[in-house]
Amino acid sequence: MKSILFLSLLFVFTSCKVVKPYDMVNINDPDMLLANKKCERFETNFQIYREGASGANGGKSGGGCGCN
Amino acid sequence: MAENRAVVVAVINKKNMFPMTNDKFTNRIWLTVSLLTVGLGFGQTENNEYKKRVLETAEIDYVMSYYTQDGSHASVTGGIGTEKLEDITPTFIIALPLNSDDVLTIDAGISAYSSASSSNLDPFDASGASGGGHDDDDDRAVYAGVSGTPWAASSGASAQDVWSGVTINFSHSSDDRDFSWNAQASFANEYDYTSIGFGGGLSQQFNEKNTSISLTGLVFLDNWNPKYPTEIDSYFEAGSNLNNGFFGPIDILNQSGNIINKNGPNAWQPHVDQLITDTARRTFTGALSFSQILSKNLQLLLSVDLVRQQGWLANPMQRVYFSDKPNFYVGNPSSIPNYTSPKNRDVFQLGDDIERLPSARTKLPFGARLNYYITSSLAVRTYFRYYQDDWGLVSQTASIELPVKFGFGKYTLYPNYRYYTQTAADYFAPYEGHLSTSNFYTSDYDLSAFSSHQIGLGFNYTDVFAKMKFLGFGLKSVDLRYNYYDRSDGLTANITSMGIKFVMD
Repeated sequence: MKSILFLSLLFVFTSCKVVKPYDMVNINDPDMLLANKKCERFETNFQIYREGASGANGGKSGGGCGCN
Repeated sequence: MAENRAVVVAVINKKNMFPMTNDKFTNRIWLTVSLLTVGLGFGQTENNEYKKRVLETAEIDYVMSYYTQDGSHASVTGGIGTEKLEDITPTFIIALPLNSDDVLTIDAGISAYSSASSSNLDPFDASGASGGGHDDDDDRAVYAGVSGTPWAASSGASAQDVWSGVTINFSHSSDDRDFSWNAQASFANEYDYTSIGFGGGLSQQFNEKNTSISLTGLVFLDNWNPKYPTEIDSYFEAGSNLNNGFFGPIDILNQSGNIINKNGPNAWQPHVDQLITDTARRTFTGALSFSQILSKNLQLLLSVDLVRQQGWLANPMQRVYFSDKPNFYVGNPSSIPNYTSPKNRDVFQLGDDIERLPSARTKLPFGARLNYYITSSLAVRTYFRYYQDDWGLVSQTASIELPVKFGFGKYTLYPNYRYYTQTAADYFAPYEGHLSTSNFYTSDYDLSAFSSHQIGLGFNYTDVFAKMKFLGFGLKSVDLRYNYYDRSDGLTANITSMGIKFVMD
C-alpha cells in the first residue's frame, strides 16, 4: 500500500511534464482508454467465475451473483 | 447583463448627450446601435455559458456474448465430472443525456445458461442412465433402476437458468469537467439468488487534466434461495429416514456394490445435521484509482480495491466427499470401480456434505494499466494485477493487446494475450481429499492452484459520422471478439463477444 502511494506521489510531483490539451490527440485515441471496452465485460465476468481472483480492473469484484 | 444595463442607460442619457439633436435619423442610428449592442450582449452571454455536453446525444449499445466451456472437475459433483456449459448474454446499455452535465445510463441484460454440472444437483434419472452426453445404450440395458453419473447432464430442473439484472446509473459533471460524481443502483435475480446493489463514486482531474483520482464505493446485499444436492435435501425432507421420501424405493450401495441396510448404524447420512444457517451474502467494495499522463504517447493507471464479503460465501449446490467416510452409491454396482472415469454412465456417489467456507473474506487486488501510442496505426495496451485474500489465495494476471488500425482508422484489429496464475485457497482439496474433521472444505477447482492462458482477436469498425441509419439511429461502431481460454487443470473455454453502438440523430 505504501509503495503504491509512493509511486503515485512520485508520478504526480516529479516525473511528468504537463501535456497540453492540444498535444493530447494521441492520448485521447479510443485505443488509449485506460479501461476495458464494453464488450470485454463478458470476458471479465467469466474470468471472475472461473478464477479465484477478481477486482482492480474496473469490473466486478464480488457480489451480484451466486458465482463469486 | 451588465452590458445590457449599460446600453439602456446610454439610451436614456442620449438626450442629455445630444441635447440639440432631435431628428428621426439620429434616433434610428441610436436605436440600431442599441439593438445591435443588446443583441451582441445576449450573444456574448450565451457564449460565456456554452459548455460542451458530456454526452452529445442518446446512445444505445447492444452487447452480447456466447460462451462455452468443458472440463472434468465439476464442483457440483465434488471435483469430478463434466463441466460442460453454454451461456448467452444479450444486454442493452442505454445512455441518455439529461442536460449538458448529467447522463442517465440504464444497463439491462440476461445471462441464459445450460450447465451439465448444475443439472447434477439432481443427477438421478429413472431411465437407468443420465440423459444427454454420450450415453451408451448397452450400459442402460445392464441396469434398469434409478441412477446418475457426474459425467453427463441429467434432466434435472437446474440444468438451465436465467440470470437477469439491471443497473441504473446517474452521473453529473462540473462546469469545467474536472470533477464528476455518480450514483447507481442495481437489481439481479436468478432462481437461487437475489441481489440488490447500490453505490457511487467521485472523480477529480487536475494538473491540466493530466492527473485523475477516482474513488468508488459499492454495496451488494444479496440473498440465497438455497438449492441443495438432491440426496442431502431429500434426507432432511424425509426426517432423516432413508425408508421415506426419495430414498424409500431406492437401494443404496456400498463401495463393494452391495445393498446396505438402511436402518443399520453405518448407513449413509450427511455429515452435518443442518444446512445453510445464514442466507445473506453482503459485499462491500471500495476502489481507488489514480491515472497519469506521462507523455504525449504514454499514460498509466494504478488502482486498488478493498473488498469485504460476509455471510454465506460457499455455494450450497456444491458437494464434498470425505476421505475418512465410507462411500455410498445409487445406480449400477458394476460401474462403481470406474466411478472417476468418464466411462461411468450409470452410478452416482451420494454426497457427504455441501462445501463450507468461512463467513468472511477480504480481497485486496492491485492493478496497473500502461498504454503506449506507438504510431497512428499501432498502440500497446498492457495490464497487470496482483491479488491476495485472507483465504490464502494469491494470484498474478498479465495481459497485452496490440490494436492495429487500418483503412484510414476506420478498422482496428486487436490481437491479445492474457496469462493468469493462482495458488490454492486454504480450504481446497480435490475429490475425496478432505477430512470430515475440518471446519471448512471445498472441491471447487476455481479455488485450486492453476495457471491459464487466454488468446484472442478482436475487430472494430468505427464510423465517427454514423452515416449508416437504422430506425432513426446512426451506426457508430461494431466490435467483434473471440477468445480461447485454457486452464492447466484441463478446463477449456471459448467466448465470442460483440458490441454494436447506435447514436440518435
